[in-house]
Amino acid sequence: MIHPNFPKAAIVAALTALPILPAHAVAQDKNTYSTIERGLYLTRAGDCAACHTSDPEKPYAGNYPLATPFGTIHSSNLTPDDATGLGKWTADDFYKAMNEGKRPDGSGLYPAFPYTHFTLVTREDSEAIFAYLKTLEPVSQKVEKPGFPFPLNERVVMKGWNALNFDDRKFTPVDGKSAEWNRGYYLAEGLGHCAMCHSPKNMLGAEENGAAAYTGGMAEGWFAPPLKAHGNAPGLSDWSKKDVSDYLKYGRNEQTAAFGPMADVISKSTRYLSDPDLEALAAYLTDLPNTQEKDNTKTGSTQEAASSDTGKLVYDTQCAACHGAQGEGVKLQFAKLAGSNIVQSDNPTTLLRVILEGTKAVPTAKYPTPHAMPAFNWKLKNDEVVAVANYVRNAFGNSAPAVSSSDVEKLRQGS
Amino acid sequence: MPMTRRALLAGASLLAFSTAVQARTYSGGIPWKAARSNPPEIFDPEARFFTPEERAFISAAVDRLIPADDFPSATESGVVTFLENQLSGAYGRGDIYYMKGPFRKGEPTQGYQSQAPGILYRQAIADINTLLKSEQNKSFTDLSPDEQDTFLMRLSEGKAELEHVDGKTFFDTFWQDTQLGFFGDPVHGGNRDMASWKMLGFPGARYDYREYVNHDGRKLSFEPVSVAGNFMKEAH
Repeated sequence: MIHPNFPKAAIVAALTALPILPAHAVAQDKNTYSTIERGLYLTRAGDCAACHTSDPEKPYAGNYPLATPFGTIHSSNLTPDDATGLGKWTADDFYKAMNEGKRPDGSGLYPAFPYTHFTLVTREDSEAIFAYLKTLEPVSQKVEKPGFPFPLNERVVMKGWNALNFDDRKFTPVDGKSAEWNRGYYLAEGLGHCAMCHSPKNMLGAEENGAAAYTGGMAEGWFAPPLKAHGNAPGLSDWSKKDVSDYLKYGRNEQTAAFGPMADVISKSTRYLSDPDLEALAAYLTDLPNTQEKDNTKTGSTQEAASSDTGKLVYDTQCAACHGAQGEGVKLQFAKLAGSNIVQSDNPTTLLRVILEGTKAVPTAKYPTPHAMPAFNWKLKNDEVVAVANYVRNAFGNSAPAVSSSDVEKLRQGS
Repeated sequence: MPMTRRALLAGASLLAFSTAVQARTYSGGIPWKAARSNPPEIFDPEARFFTPEERAFISAAVDRLIPADDFPSATESGVVTFLENQLSGAYGRGDIYYMKGPFRKGEPTQGYQSQAPGILYRQAIADINTLLKSEQNKSFTDLSPDEQDTFLMRLSEGKAELEHVDGKTFFDTFWQDTQLGFFGDPVHGGNRDMASWKMLGFPGARYDYREYVNHDGRKLSFEPVSVAGNFMKEAH
């Protein structure tokens, strides 16, 4: 068949046919339309814009201030500007940054750049991304130096950090898992760098691995919920593959709607992914090794919370109209609270922020007008926020440790 | 089919229209900012419109209109605070009314036709005390409760001739405002502790009754709720 849109069709075929493209399959001119288009796709898959586009008028020009527990770091300029961007970089330089976290001069990049994940990205994918970045309009954008205290301001310390926390891995498909699962593994662990937010971090700011991986972590002042059962939170254990792929594609599924930093991820990254890649991610993420069963034992204080008069009164009068008298929500409209991962997470930050500040869902092609939840910071006193938070954490079959008034006060001061 | 002049023109105009107007899909929603909201204005307990003498008149009069029984009186319920807030604000200034000429006597069916409510109250209280001074050499607050009732009844029937304002217009306005204070949301200063809502069994600012659609008229006994919240029992 002669296809009038040959290059696009080729990309779709390339993206859908093979979970991982072997080297010889893409042995072609790196500046072809298909390579560049694939580079754009992968750049989106990596959500590079989240940190590297500070001003929408200057895509990928960097200098986005990223607050870390160690200080604020500004992202690099990825446009091909000779003086301030990647203009003088070669594809080798770029691959070295992706694969080893090193700059062309050999000095270490800070791991706010997820090279700990991008090390898995294949050479071919790295080159496609680089080919795409080369097509961007060069923008002269100086990048501020990292505001780290001594000795972290010396890049040489990254040698020690890398020795402790960096594993220069190559992607190798896991035997016994489907090609789809392996594609999901490659995307989630590599470009997708999901664990950057969804895993807890150690004192050095590195993600914890093994049993702790994907048990939830703090990111940008929000608690990114666990993706596997942890404490009382079910993770994605009760989400279907369709729930996961719908969530990533449309920002909404039958359980909930995305908000906060994840809304940005969907808006800038995952909504662009192909259906096979979304299904691959879903296959991988719903199959994370569960290290525990959901803990349904309630302590005395949380049992009390579930029957608290104030908590129930606040819920019934303020929340139930959308979230349902039994926390059942409204499918594809309002989040279900019964069985909710975020509601039952050990760390209540996200739940409390949602109650205090409200949230807004993300507009996507399928749901162009997102719902917003109003802020209750003006209406509920700290003790009332505590009462309703503890109520939803322990009503409708939920269970989770009690939150305290000081948790609420801290967030109020921060917002 | 031969192209007619009419079809050609229709086609041309359609073409012009379709090139000038581009289909656009709008996405997004109403502006939204985290932690921002538009909460109701909460009354100021210190707000003052009345002079001490006027306040004494108002306090005595509202408690004749709504005296204490099993439930609190108007003053106990905060009606005076409500009136102080309303009359010292936009309502008292008549901001919601057209206040310019021509000035003609309106029909009762034409709604409120008097001066700014603040001026009406101030003038009416002064006129009432002038009238009572001339008739009984007493001010309203010097009357016994029964005498006060008699006078208010007379005012309500339009049988008290006031010097500057219409007595019945004042009474009707004052009576309506008193009820608004007594039955309105506590966020405005009256209906303290939602006492009148408890009296009526009114549930207040709740917004979803789907659960009770098939409740078949049985009593629900809801705890009332203000638009401004206040859910803690101990805070009442």
